[in-house]
Amino acid sequence: MSGAAFKVVDGYTLPDEHRALLQPGEEVEDESGNVHHLPSFFYSIQSWREAHETRLAPHFKLAELMIVDCREADLLLREFPHYVPCAVSLLAGFLEGFRRATDAPVFISANGGYRSPAHQRNCAKSAHCWATAADVYRVGDTYLEDEKSIARYADVAQSLGVQVFVRPYSDGDDHLHIDLGFVTVTPRDCSEAR
Amino acid sequence: MAAIDHTEALREAVEAITEKSGTKACAVAVHDFQDGIRFSLHGERVFHAASTIKVAILLALFRGIDEGRFRAGDPLHVRNRFLSAIGRTPFRLDGNSDGYPQLYKLVGRTAKISDLAESMIIWSSNLATNLLLDYIGTEYAAQVLQEAGVRGIELRRGVQDEKAYEHGLNNETTAEGLVQIFAALRGDFLSRASRERVIHILLEQKFTSMIPAGLPLHATVAHKTGEISTACHDAGIVYLPEREPYIVAVLTEVDPSRNGHRETVRKISEAVYQAVTGKRSR
Repeated sequence: MSGAAFKVVDGYTLPDEHRALLQPGEEVEDESGNVHHLPSFFYSIQSWREAHETRLAPHFKLAELMIVDCREADLLLREFPHYVPCAVSLLAGFLEGFRRATDAPVFISANGGYRSPAHQRNCAKSAHCWATAADVYRVGDTYLEDEKSIARYADVAQSLGVQVFVRPYSDGDDHLHIDLGFVTVTPRDCSEAR
Repeated sequence: MAAIDHTEALREAVEAITEKSGTKACAVAVHDFQDGIRFSLHGERVFHAASTIKVAILLALFRGIDEGRFRAGDPLHVRNRFLSAIGRTPFRLDGNSDGYPQLYKLVGRTAKISDLAESMIIWSSNLATNLLLDYIGTEYAAQVLQEAGVRGIELRRGVQDEKAYEHGLNNETTAEGLVQIFAALRGDFLSRASRERVIHILLEQKFTSMIPAGLPLHATVAHKTGEISTACHDAGIVYLPEREPYIVAVLTEVDPSRNGHRETVRKISEAVYQAVTGKRSR
């Protein structure tokens, strides 16, 4: 990671209004009904400038993995610090490999990186709430908006490891969803004792 | 329209213009704020709204901003993927036939809500329209129309929803309904700040070959056009420095195989101006 060294915060220590939105460590169901624990440890980002200046991988800045629109909860959209699960660095590392494999720039859509459990698009909790998912809408000059292009890059992503999940094309898709599962990261100097 | 004979003269003029142009159906409604007089010719007849429906979305958006429900400066994800009002099946818009193809370059990223509102009206962007309607919700927009006392405008879906069109589920309007919505925009239904912003956006309209083209050069018009193969409309508020403004709505149903639809609306605008002011426009 280049740029600022982020402060890591334990979500359990955050003010109530943030905890209500981020739900650190809480049990939630995914769209298949499986239960997972939401992330507890977050990078604390002080400004958009910091997010834009920080490269999590050579070709991926933190900012592009945390851009959301107004469907995000007000507090998380408008006020700093922003909190992003520490697993975002794993996602960036994976995307760098994906970029290398495709040999082209990879573009992540708005709402397509980390979005909080309170985001309106997260009725069922998806890996986006873990910061381990990316919605790729464009690779090089190709917009992923048909079955052929989505399937082509899904195959590339899938070839990068058994841990990689790619959502098969369904009618009208306008992006490729890739995720690494419900991975949480506990930084070395943090304790999970409660 | 100080006298009834002016009204009759306008009726005769409109009928002569539409008969000569072969227009299938025409409705005209006018509300003159100089003396409060109204004119209506088939004002309750229902037409496919085409892009005039975007005025309803604009009204709902700014009402929602006044209520604190939306914020003009907020970012909205630009996607070219929408769900049909019939069966919720996905569909896309064609950027090549959109009034503002530049917006398609932002697909995947975000645009400010206020910028989308401008694109929706000034350039008649279909993409901006569907993005905003998707965000604010058809139900809320319909509720705002009701609260504003607008009757005769039915907002049922986004634009270019071909499946809904095939099933006969369309946005509809009447000339009276459009006069009412512009009266709401001009009145105190919105906050002063929102009203001024909305009127400013409508004044920036780039498609000016209909109502404005039938007026003297010193007139300004806050308006919105609407055109599909079978309909050609324009409606808005006409501002003249020497008098109070008037609202005019001209709706036409046309034969797609014929030309000159905009010219028909232009001529009707000219006739309305003459009836309202007693002067020739040019």
